[in-house]
Amino acid sequence: MADQLLENARDLFEGQIDFEGQRLAEFLATVLLSIVGVVSFLYGYFLQDIKLALLIGLGGTVLTFLLVVPPWPLFKAHPVKWLPAPEENKSSQGIVVDGMVIG
Amino acid sequence: MHSSVVRVQNVFGFFTTVCFAVAAFIALSDYYSPRTPSATLAVKDIQVVRGRPHYYSTKKEEYAHIRFSLSSDLSTLFTWNTKQVFVYVSASWPDASAPNKTAHVNEAVIWDTIITSPSADHLQNIGPAAMKKLLKSAKGNAIDPSRGKLELKNQKPKYQITAPSGNVANIENVVLKLHYNVQPWVGILTWTPQMDILRWKQVKGGVSKAFKLPAIKVKEEKKKAAK
Repeated sequence: MADQLLENARDLFEGQIDFEGQRLAEFLATVLLSIVGVVSFLYGYFLQDIKLALLIGLGGTVLTFLLVVPPWPLFKAHPVKWLPAPEENKSSQGIVVDGMVIG
Repeated sequence: MHSSVVRVQNVFGFFTTVCFAVAAFIALSDYYSPRTPSATLAVKDIQVVRGRPHYYSTKKEEYAHIRFSLSSDLSTLFTWNTKQVFVYVSASWPDASAPNKTAHVNEAVIWDTIITSPSADHLQNIGPAAMKKLLKSAKGNAIDPSRGKLELKNQKPKYQITAPSGNVANIENVVLKLHYNVQPWVGILTWTPQMDILRWKQVKGGVSKAFKLPAIKVKEEKKKAAK
């Protein structure tokens, strides 16, 4: 029971996502932060307000963190399909040479 | 990007890159906005008196006390990236013993002030009442170019000036000059340009007519005693 809880807590903290999710997370982080930078500069320049530029920049960064860092279900939509485990064979360690099982 | 910690590191790493790029663009935007300051300076009353540099000094020096009038329009210096503008007036005069007798090699500041942009008002080191008044004067605007318009009539100098020799009486060919520093939020501190740089123009005017410092003022009582 306690082990199970600990395991769940560790998984949540580690937040592992699948390969497609990793690609998506990388893309989102780059694109969102770039857009935030451009928007904050343009708003600040045209409204002549440097505080506004700072707030937009920091706010957008916080949003990006919230969207990219937690292991959202979106990043786990393509789990890796592993091959089925081979049948158990106690006497063999599964060392195969030239198609012959030798150990 | 497989685990949360790695994602935090990657996002933060790229965030710093974006910060630097935006800051660079903000600094460069300064060069795009024109700076066309103008000013007229006039000398009013001048006195030269004898005094001590500090209370325990045994040495007496001559101090020039120069009153002046300044009318300036520095409003183009105030953009979104301006934190504050430091404005100062100096008196400069040539050195009679120097090879080039007309070059104004001596220069001393007689008055200065800090003009903050509304975005930096909260940084001013002033009392609560004055602070309230200052914040109110911006009327909620992020920039307030009207703060660059100075109208000083017969202004008392902040600093009485002297020279290393201790003698300033009867110096001729003295002029007052207006200088400024623009301190930006992001980018480099800029001084009064000595030539036109792209859209930044030199101060139009900003130099008074040449004048002569008077002889030492003698106190009335001493005059009477001499009789």
